[in-house]
Amino acid sequence: MPALRLFAILQTDCPTCRLITPYLNTLARDATPVTGISQDAESATSEFVRQMEVRFPLERDPGLELSKRFQVVTVPTLYVLDEHDRIVRQEPGFDKQALNEIAGLFGHPPVATPYDGAPASKPGCTSRHLEAPTDEAGAAALNLNSRRGAKASLIDLAGGEDISEYCFRVFGDALPVVPPTVERVEKILRVTGRDADEVIARIPPCYGEATVEKIAANAVMAGCVPDMMRVLIPLTRAIADERFNAHGVQATTHFAAPLIILNGPVRHELSFHSRQNAFSNVARSNSTLGRALQLILLNLGGARPDGIDMSALGNPGKFSFCIAENEEENPWEPLHVEHGFARDQSAVSLFAAEAPHGVSEHNARTARGVLKSISYALATVWSYRNLMGFEAVVALGPEHVRTIHRDGFSKQNVRDFLFENTGVPLRCYDHGEPGEGVQQRAMYKEISIDGEPCYQKFRAAEAIKIVVAGGTAGKFSAVLGSWSTGPRGSQMITYPIGKPTCPSDW
Amino acid sequence: MSIRLVNPLNETATHAAPAAPRLATLEGKTIALLDISKPGGSIFLDRLERRLKERYGVAVVIRAMKPTFAKPAPAGVIEKIRGADAVIEALAD
Repeated sequence: MPALRLFAILQTDCPTCRLITPYLNTLARDATPVTGISQDAESATSEFVRQMEVRFPLERDPGLELSKRFQVVTVPTLYVLDEHDRIVRQEPGFDKQALNEIAGLFGHPPVATPYDGAPASKPGCTSRHLEAPTDEAGAAALNLNSRRGAKASLIDLAGGEDISEYCFRVFGDALPVVPPTVERVEKILRVTGRDADEVIARIPPCYGEATVEKIAANAVMAGCVPDMMRVLIPLTRAIADERFNAHGVQATTHFAAPLIILNGPVRHELSFHSRQNAFSNVARSNSTLGRALQLILLNLGGARPDGIDMSALGNPGKFSFCIAENEEENPWEPLHVEHGFARDQSAVSLFAAEAPHGVSEHNARTARGVLKSISYALATVWSYRNLMGFEAVVALGPEHVRTIHRDGFSKQNVRDFLFENTGVPLRCYDHGEPGEGVQQRAMYKEISIDGEPCYQKFRAAEAIKIVVAGGTAGKFSAVLGSWSTGPRGSQMITYPIGKPTCPSDW
Repeated sequence: MSIRLVNPLNETATHAAPAAPRLATLEGKTIALLDISKPGGSIFLDRLERRLKERYGVAVVIRAMKPTFAKPAPAGVIEKIRGADAVIEALAD
């Protein structure tokens, strides 16, 4: 292997530089020759080294001479140099694929997985020497990427104080909680084998540090068993994933709440329930995991329902909103397999969902008949006449699944049928009154459904997410509308759940 | 007997920033109008821009727009309105 070296031009107050630093630490730890160049003053640079636990030499660039010579436009920029100081590769900003390719140049395995909570890519900031001059002193750098958080404070309740009432009043979600005593929290921490002050994620919109200890304290309050940390750690990373956009989901005036969907062996290993009453209060694991996420969002994210969470009507799912897919009654591939995971890999998905809208269909005898009924419910998500911008989860009940599967439909056939048969008749736009979705009709796609001219409800078949859930008695399914979707809204995400025997992989 | 609890609330250190002082007058000032891309925001801000110039003698109006109301403003948008004497944001539809 030729003698390559890696240079990283960094700024101490650039969020993207802070995002990339832990990956550079990993490379440096494994003997990759990494050198950082800070464009900032000595004091800011040494504070950056301390906060980010920088493990590679970080030199300064006085007068920004080096930055000018390299014609740096963006920070961070990574330069791979050969033994003659020629640039072999140059990579501005943060990009996981590029980072992994660069790691590969040094014979290093990939350093950035898709499921570590960081976005796939993020643009950087302008190089210091190109910044417009300003006479104001810069604000202190936000430290949103350090791996260590503050230790949780301890609260001593004096004798006479009613502990349940105290916790109810100060910590809860308007329901009583299990008091997070030091003993209970320590019991959970022992299961994880992680440092209490390790930051797993920062929870939007207030970006509170979700340290292992804070997650554990909220898990105790929700009534979780200690082993639930195996799900809570990747779930906490997922909720802070920029693609899910908890910042918007938690603050919107809309109905959306994060729906948790579990797949794979974890359902049995931790006793999640996937049959009757899938959306309700049937099992400790479903109810306490859903509630733990809500408590984390409230207590660490800061979007409380009487404050930053501005939902006009709310959602009963904000107490707890967690289902496990009924894979045993699913003749097709389960949700996580569609998202690229092996069937025996446990996974957790998040979808910003409205409350379930039931579809009763006991008389249809064919797949087409059942799916027609579901398509009418699908047409109503968000607002009947507002089209294209939204998605839906369809939770198919096992009795409906049997009918649909018997008629030879694959999962893709189901999705395509619903896509092609869900629409809103053109006549609904002709009342002359303004209304949501009416102004955009020029953008809509006209199709024919059973001979009637309609606008198509969804922009693509993939907007319809299909899971199998619920009990085997009763011909019911459910439709759950979304919040704003796509890169400008909230995207459904799926994270892997580590094996019970490897807490270090959680 | 005293009971010891682990504080489950957010304790991340935050720094309060004081609100900018009110402007004594709008005359000759630079005012940024931020559209968060909610429907109707541009109609409201178009009218406001005319009023600010015609009635209050505002010298310069900077118009900026977030790509989506669902996420925080990206750095480019913040950069565009930096330096204005005041910012008026059209929040919702």
